[in-house]
Amino acid sequence: MAGVGGGNDFQWCFSQVKGAIDEDVAEADIISTVEFNYSGELLATGDKGGRVVIFQREQESKNRPLSRGEYNVYSTFQSHEPEFDYLKSLEIEEKINKIRWLPQQNAAHFLLSANDKTIKLWKISERDKRAEGYNLKDEDGRLRDQFRITTLRVPVLMPMDLMVEASPRRIFANAHTYHINSISVNSDYETYLSADDLRINLWHLEITDRSFNIVDIKPANMEELTEVITAAECHPHQCNVFVYSSSKGTIRLCDMRSAALCDRHSKFFEEPEDPSSRSFFSEIISSISDVKFSHSGRYMMTRDYLSVKVWDLNMENRPVETYQVHEYLRSKLCSLYENDCIFDKFECCWSGSDSAIMTGSYNNFFRMFDRNTRRDITLEASRENSKPRAMLKPRKVCTGGKRKKDEISVDSLDFNKKILHTAWHPKENVIAVAATNNLYIFQDKIN
Amino acid sequence: MEYKVEAHRIMSISLGKIYNSRVQRGGIKLHKNLLVSLVLRSARQVYLSDYYSGACLNAAQSEREGNEWDITDSEREKFPPSTTECDRIESSEEPQQNERPEKEREYRENDDEVKSDQADCTSTLQQEQKQNSSLDSVAKVSSETPPETIDEPKESPSVSTVAESDSSPEADGESHQPPKTHVCSNRKRSAEKTESGDLPQKRTKVASSNAKEDEEAEEMDTSNVSNLITIFGSSFSGLLSKDGAKPESEAEDSGQICCDQMLKNLNPWSTAIVAF
Repeated sequence: MAGVGGGNDFQWCFSQVKGAIDEDVAEADIISTVEFNYSGELLATGDKGGRVVIFQREQESKNRPLSRGEYNVYSTFQSHEPEFDYLKSLEIEEKINKIRWLPQQNAAHFLLSANDKTIKLWKISERDKRAEGYNLKDEDGRLRDQFRITTLRVPVLMPMDLMVEASPRRIFANAHTYHINSISVNSDYETYLSADDLRINLWHLEITDRSFNIVDIKPANMEELTEVITAAECHPHQCNVFVYSSSKGTIRLCDMRSAALCDRHSKFFEEPEDPSSRSFFSEIISSISDVKFSHSGRYMMTRDYLSVKVWDLNMENRPVETYQVHEYLRSKLCSLYENDCIFDKFECCWSGSDSAIMTGSYNNFFRMFDRNTRRDITLEASRENSKPRAMLKPRKVCTGGKRKKDEISVDSLDFNKKILHTAWHPKENVIAVAATNNLYIFQDKIN
Repeated sequence: MEYKVEAHRIMSISLGKIYNSRVQRGGIKLHKNLLVSLVLRSARQVYLSDYYSGACLNAAQSEREGNEWDITDSEREKFPPSTTECDRIESSEEPQQNERPEKEREYRENDDEVKSDQADCTSTLQQEQKQNSSLDSVAKVSSETPPETIDEPKESPSVSTVAESDSSPEADGESHQPPKTHVCSNRKRSAEKTESGDLPQKRTKVASSNAKEDEEAEEMDTSNVSNLITIFGSSFSGLLSKDGAKPESEAEDSGQICCDQMLKNLNPWSTAIVAF
């Protein structure tokens, strides 16, 4: 995809990498979600240890032209703690499954973070002034002796070092029996939905003690269970529309105006299965791991194990575009089943202009597809290519026959290095790629 | 016969996964367990349907495992043109060409109308014959509603076991044509597979040792349902003890544990789901 000018050709360059270099990766440090906010100024990551780290982009200044808008740590806080459900004798993991930002409405920033069972609304605010000169207490907070107070004074605001505080403003709990896999803020900025394996709930951001159940696919007899909900998202512009994907590779679009319980879909998206490619694992690889609307709201993208598909909301019987992510893995499905890799849930994302899409793969590779030119590129997130502003070299996987120089054979791929979470800046060509416990940020050279 | 061994292996791996999921942090993951149970069911159906050694099954099987086994074009030509029909859910009245291993009720329909492959797989033939004869009775049990997936794997080794105890008169009643080259193609494919990497090599090694163990397990005598559980247990322990290389020892260990688990709890998967 290298090239000069011409619309959508990107030249991706290394910008930054965050995280420990140590080979021994602590489980708690593994990044489990990445999300830019609406302006792209803030980048949030959640990890398996229940922590949220927020990076803020430096203002580009003439003094430091080389920094080019680098992301630095803005705030770190513990969002979720491990819990224990005493009734079921189950431990509830503190791993952050999803973070979603709310649009900024005042000086503070708000985000929703969710683990398996609980969603929390966090307020992240800056404090750069402090009141000094209280009447009743000292500077360190101790109460002053009453007989020493002889005059009345007005406290004065004095500047202080910038402090970023995160405080939980709402806790939305006890609404999900199964594991939460998605949250999505509605375009009305008042409600949001949360989805678990069998149910989707609609919440109001101000109300924590109840939610509306809008989808329930739990069968009366659990032994008849055939599919689960794998992802859900609100439409970016129509606040009454949302979609949810299933483990059977289908997507349902629902309109909340039609009924209180949206068990009956308005649209049903499914591509007929190719019978010649059936195997023991056909059902697993057709399970959709992520669904994302385009920014325009006209298209949506789904990710299953081997491919990414772009659907036109007006056409239900097949996707308009299909991109193979790592088709060379189709012959390895049995091994991937044994080592559990076949259950990996890859996410996908759109570029700000919807002209390109990106998703992750193994060996710290990630793939980018240009929808206009139909060109695709494989890039690698590794410390070896981490010289500042070094341009990323395209990678290639050798699928058979003679391996050329610089190609890597399928059997040499490291399946422990998986890129499940990626994010694209909403306005610029800046991408964030989570590789296990490291966060890589790449920028387009032309940018 | 490799596909049967493969199916058996996948079944034991799947059971191991279901068992391990119960002790995983964060509780049972419904989605993953659902997918594992679907694989388990597919593998079980393939395992039980091995007497569909006619062209249709091999074609269907090879298509199902097509990418696992690197079918060449010449081999594909040997398969009858109706192979795609084999994968459709609807069962057919025509037994030979259109047998669908996915549907349990077909076991009953297709008893007497099986084509088997060339005689150099005589042991296979004998096993298939014996399994045919007993499959009818077992099919009635196993053709219960799909939810009872855990019961069925128990019965799968028992099918072969019960089959073995049946004497040859029933086998004589079957009509079997000499096997075609399809089974040989299976073997060819497995040889090709060995060349293509470490994991496939491991698989073939396991396959050969497992095949022996299967036969040894099947020699055990059973006659009633209470012994089916024992047979299932011993067939797993057979895998553990006789497999010198133990490439799949972890899966088998968990299979063993899982099998013990199943002994205590007849329907662990349903119980696990219902526990939600």
